[in-house]
Amino acid sequence: MKFEMKIYHNHIIKIAIATAVIFSASSCRKNFFPSDRVEDSGLLNTIEGMRTATLGNYATLKGLNYENNYHWLAELPSDEVAQGQNSSSDVTNLYKYTHLVNSANATAYFQQAYYIAAAANKIIRLIPDNASADQLQVKGENLFLRAMLHFNLVRMFGRPYAQTPTTNPGVPILSENLTESEAATVKRSTVAQVYDFVLADLLKAAQFMTVEKSNSFATKMAAYALLSRVYLYMDNNAKAIEYADLVINSNKYQLLQNTQYQNYFRVDPETNRESIFAIKHTKTENYDYSAVGSLYYSGDANGNALGQGESGWGEIYASAKYYNFLNKFPQDKRKSFISPYVVGGTQQLNGKLTPPAPIYYVNKNNLQEGVINLTSPVYLRLAEQYLNRAEANAKLNKAQLALDDVNVIRTRAGIPVYTLIDVTPTHTILDIVLEERWLELAFEGHRAYDLFRNNRPVVRDYPGTHSTINGSVNQTINPTDARVIYFIPQTERDKNPNLSQNP
Amino acid sequence: MACAFLLKAQNRAITGTVTDSKKLPLPGITVTVLGTKTATQTDANGKYTINAENESTLEFKALGFSSQTIKVGTNTTLNISLTDETTNLDAVTVVGYTTKKKSEISSAVTTVSGAQLNDVTSVNLGNLLQGKAPGVVASSASGDPTAGSTVVVRGVGTINAGIGPLVVVDGNIGGTYNPADVDNITILRDAAATGLYGSRAANGVIIVTTKKGKAGETRFSLNSAVGFAKATTGNFQLMDAQQLYDYQKTFFTTPPAPSLVNTNTNWWDEAFRTAMVNNHTLTASGGSEKSQFYISGNYFKEEGTLINNDKTQYSLRANLTSQLTKKLKLNALLSGIVINDNINPESAVYQAYLNMPYDPAYNADGSPTDPRNIPSWKGRDRSNFLQSLQYNYSRARSFTSTGDINLDYDLLKNLTISSYNRATIASGRSNNYYDRRSQSGATNLGTASLSNTFATTLLSSNRIKYSVNIGQHNFSILGVAEIESYKYDVNGITAKGLPAGMDAINTATDITNKPTGSYDGYKNIKYLAQADYSYQSKYYLVASVVNEYASRFGKNNPAATFYQFGTSWILSNESFLKDNKTISFLKLRASAGTTGNQGGIDYYQSFGLYNLNAAASYNGQTGAFPTQIANPDLTWEKSRTYNLGLDFSLFKRIDVTIDAYDKRNSDLLFAVPLPSTVGYANIRRNIGAIRNRGIEFTINSKNIQLKDFNWETNFNMSFNRNKVMELNQGLLVVNTSTQPIALGHDMDEWYMQKWAGVNPADGKPLWEKLDDPTGVTSTYNQATRQYTGKSSAPKFSGGLTNTLNYKNFTLSAFLNFVYGNWVYNDSRFYFDNDGVYESYNQQVLPKGSVRWTTPGQTDATHPQAKFGGNLQSHQTSTRFLENGSYLRLRNVTVGYNLPANWLKKASINAARLYVSGDNLFTATKFSGVDPEVDLTGGISSFRYPTSRRFVFGVNLTF
Repeated sequence: MKFEMKIYHNHIIKIAIATAVIFSASSCRKNFFPSDRVEDSGLLNTIEGMRTATLGNYATLKGLNYENNYHWLAELPSDEVAQGQNSSSDVTNLYKYTHLVNSANATAYFQQAYYIAAAANKIIRLIPDNASADQLQVKGENLFLRAMLHFNLVRMFGRPYAQTPTTNPGVPILSENLTESEAATVKRSTVAQVYDFVLADLLKAAQFMTVEKSNSFATKMAAYALLSRVYLYMDNNAKAIEYADLVINSNKYQLLQNTQYQNYFRVDPETNRESIFAIKHTKTENYDYSAVGSLYYSGDANGNALGQGESGWGEIYASAKYYNFLNKFPQDKRKSFISPYVVGGTQQLNGKLTPPAPIYYVNKNNLQEGVINLTSPVYLRLAEQYLNRAEANAKLNKAQLALDDVNVIRTRAGIPVYTLIDVTPTHTILDIVLEERWLELAFEGHRAYDLFRNNRPVVRDYPGTHSTINGSVNQTINPTDARVIYFIPQTERDKNPNLSQNP
Repeated sequence: MACAFLLKAQNRAITGTVTDSKKLPLPGITVTVLGTKTATQTDANGKYTINAENESTLEFKALGFSSQTIKVGTNTTLNISLTDETTNLDAVTVVGYTTKKKSEISSAVTTVSGAQLNDVTSVNLGNLLQGKAPGVVASSASGDPTAGSTVVVRGVGTINAGIGPLVVVDGNIGGTYNPADVDNITILRDAAATGLYGSRAANGVIIVTTKKGKAGETRFSLNSAVGFAKATTGNFQLMDAQQLYDYQKTFFTTPPAPSLVNTNTNWWDEAFRTAMVNNHTLTASGGSEKSQFYISGNYFKEEGTLINNDKTQYSLRANLTSQLTKKLKLNALLSGIVINDNINPESAVYQAYLNMPYDPAYNADGSPTDPRNIPSWKGRDRSNFLQSLQYNYSRARSFTSTGDINLDYDLLKNLTISSYNRATIASGRSNNYYDRRSQSGATNLGTASLSNTFATTLLSSNRIKYSVNIGQHNFSILGVAEIESYKYDVNGITAKGLPAGMDAINTATDITNKPTGSYDGYKNIKYLAQADYSYQSKYYLVASVVNEYASRFGKNNPAATFYQFGTSWILSNESFLKDNKTISFLKLRASAGTTGNQGGIDYYQSFGLYNLNAAASYNGQTGAFPTQIANPDLTWEKSRTYNLGLDFSLFKRIDVTIDAYDKRNSDLLFAVPLPSTVGYANIRRNIGAIRNRGIEFTINSKNIQLKDFNWETNFNMSFNRNKVMELNQGLLVVNTSTQPIALGHDMDEWYMQKWAGVNPADGKPLWEKLDDPTGVTSTYNQATRQYTGKSSAPKFSGGLTNTLNYKNFTLSAFLNFVYGNWVYNDSRFYFDNDGVYESYNQQVLPKGSVRWTTPGQTDATHPQAKFGGNLQSHQTSTRFLENGSYLRLRNVTVGYNLPANWLKKASINAARLYVSGDNLFTATKFSGVDPEVDLTGGISSFRYPTSRRFVFGVNLTF
């Protein structure tokens, strides 16, 4: 019996040891953390962290979702581009004004703009208005970004300010004071409310930003420059002039001349003395065939045109209407921004359409630092400030002042200047200013807005895929047309039923 | 000494031959004199000699065969024929951490033998498993040999957590194997069986057991197969130049030039080819009573039917089993697989569909045309893949190896402790090269990109098992502690400016983008306990509890506990049925239990995160952008399953298994879309519950059993229905895709604009508009999005296999079918679009389709074709939603076993020749090339079709 007990005892010990060994081997829990991300709770505790997060906000502007869609939504409704052949992407609908409620481009832009605005708010709400200067600089940059985003959104999704802005719906205002659930159910404010919000942000931003920075960043001058544009859109001409003056007279910027001007978009953007704010891409931040420029251009790194598909899709061109207008003075330096595809002296046509569209590649969105599809989109530059002031003066019936600014631009382009004799009832001072804006700022996202906000139609009397809609090469879009603006994305309305739809 | 003499005197030698049911000799069969330690094994010719007494009973035993006992009596020669285990209820089945006789299992499990698995020539489990087990739906979205497939067990019960079943190789979670080395595959479907795998078992478990050696003379086998394949095109046809011209001239404002038809390129034929497949396996197995080995080497090469696309795989496996001491047993398993994939670097499938027949593929000198130099090129993308394929490539190379050391130690008679340990190393490298002479390489004067991944998984599973029999009561208890840790590294670089023909990054002048690199890891820790009880081989009970920690879940809820319970009752062992001639076997099973799901979500899903990658850096400085909203409460998705099963056999000929289940997944992991004004695209939450209910059955019938002729039929079928039962926070729907998660609906139900045909008056498209008095609209933006009542999940699916043996000939035919699912034929947007894209080739209208041409026409299915399109008629709607049901003759194999007397001279034990055909016939209404889609998504887009294939093979054993 004793012997048996001992065996039994032995077994108990064996079992105990075995169990202990087996079950102790695996008790250590461990937290894993991603190698290329940081936790939000820690990041924004310091001013350095807030600066890092602010850089991230700028960085997101250069993401395809923001930058490409901004460009196409702003640019494609104009009469300076011609889509030379049909495309399976939503770009075709933007160009033809056959918008869809689930437009891929409009949806992506709307979403990305609010993601960045919300990210800016995370910083804005942490810094009180009486904080130290270096904190206010950070807050000011984020306020600038938030203002720019709301301004772009209200231009795309809200009717022009010239059309009853106090009743027309604009876009949701994403203020830093909204709680998460308020942000999830926010309604569209009126167009006027959004403009007021934008103005308030920009005025504060201009006040808070005191550090001198390169044109890759928001600065006091960038805020002034955008204020000039916003006031111009609101028909507050005195203010538009006031802020354009502040920028022009600051002497921080200068109009580039001659070959420097002709190479405007090809140099390292930070060395460009005319740009006020550009979304900087380094040489390795190139999207190639996904880049905006790949739809505009196919050729070599020096701007020499080649066949479609050589370096890009090359299927959206300068319209014949724009090119012919620019070519009125063949010496116009701005022709450098167009690369007509000519083989053996013959201008090539895109044969997909009848009548075919001439292949006038645009290279304004290419060729930065010798990289074919690389660009750093310029959002604000000095020439626009001259033209803002000119337009405001024209509307204030100060024709000579308006002509003075227009002539600065024309002189730089190397073409004859205007005098008051050239101003006639059929070619008004506003016509002259708008023509010059068109020539100068083409393919930078201004043209369609410049027409619609001045109650002028977009008239397309040139070959392009729009011409197949009714079998003629004419398409006229009046400023009162419902499709002057985009639909609020269906998917956003599904998630937030408080968002009303545009008719 | 006298005793010993006496024993010896009564012993005498018994000899005989052991064969299988086909009369082929079986080597390596263990022959034991029951009640003694006397044992031997059959030799290569199946012969054995053993000493026994008249009163002795001999037992003949081997894995894969049912053991047989026989009294010696006065015989001196005993020839035995053993039957395969797969038809036998006493066969041993691996269930989770234990093995059980099939009759003892309380769960829904199915075993597929290696031979059944490997009829189709492939190294892809999904392709091999399709239609072979009830409740298992395997589907693949591509005929690309380098692409994978999707396996779903009992319907998809989750939204975007993982859907794939857990694969367990040789007792340990995960692992690698080559199907050629598979002895059998067991599919566990209900919670009582899968539950032991706790966290990752919600989608079922597939247990792969590889072949092991048997003691006896070394046996070699060679299996060799060579075949060729062509892409199938089903009901689909592209237009040729004349057809396209005739179509386009009806809507071009200016008629296209008639000379266009002078070129008539068939781009499909340029892209597809007759492809070869090669599969060769050489194995050696054998060993002593103490140690056995199985070693195999396999070479597999499958060419895609698409040009510049193939997969080459080299596999090696060494399985060693050794009784190190009387009490300590070792299993050392080693597997290594090298895969070289060639992926078509150009969008050749896309171009095969869309390039225009008007455009020439070749120049007069036979070289491929370069569309960049041909201004009159008509195709939209101005691309000729043949030009680029002269230079460009996309290759992937990987090496995966697993090593297992499994030890079982019999501490006491009834107490075993085990330690199962595995290391897996997976290393992959992908390499793309675009030459500067090609269109895709021209912009950057040639690019070369390289990406490397390196992953290690370490697993240790330590087990203790105690069993005891008290009279007719049998108890066993199992305890397991298991830890798994995973580490993964990835980096990549793309360089540009390479001289023509040079693909080494050393020859590049610059980089295109910033190099990338990151690493990841996770850890799982699991404890489980299981208790088994049975009484009199009639009543069985099993209960278990599992607790598991996963590092990827929120800090508030990283661990979860799951429980399982199962019971069964073998009625045919009761006295009232014991002698029933009709019902030879009858068993009732019931089980309930919970499992978890952690698949498909990021490793760090609970944190609030800012991204610091290249996309967040600006102007060369580090930036950070918010990418993920925190949810520290995030926890396991849980699945609760009830299962009722019935197994019965009639006349010992017909075996039937029926299972009914109700599976409810709750705390569903889902990336809930957020309004963009919140600042994030989505938040990962546990959002609600989904139910899957279904019935599955398998019938195995030995229809005819004659001396020279056998006919067997296996039929399996499963029905599954899915429904969203509950959504948190009172929501009715959590997203608004074309397949929303909506309360009361099938989660795979399509939600979109309903096509209402063509307006007879003007040929315009019509969609339903519910708030309009006419009920229809021709304005796409106003069409009502609505539930269609059509789901991408099949109502039922299954397979039917017939096997016939006549003397040395075998014939098997395997059909699989899927019924009641709706496929969105997305690519019709491009090639059936009423004139939107004049520069894409178009589909010939399928039979029964009519284009509107004249006012008043009522039979039109297609709107009037117009240049630039007819009012967005090609946008998403039920117009492109098609019946995805199909019946496919998946495989037919004819085999011939060479007579043994012919082979003897060549010292060959057995030889079999066969011819096999895959995908010989498909019946479907689907208008595309192939109705099969990845059934979890239900979208067919530029389908790389399945191939029809003929394979010639030989199996030799010597």
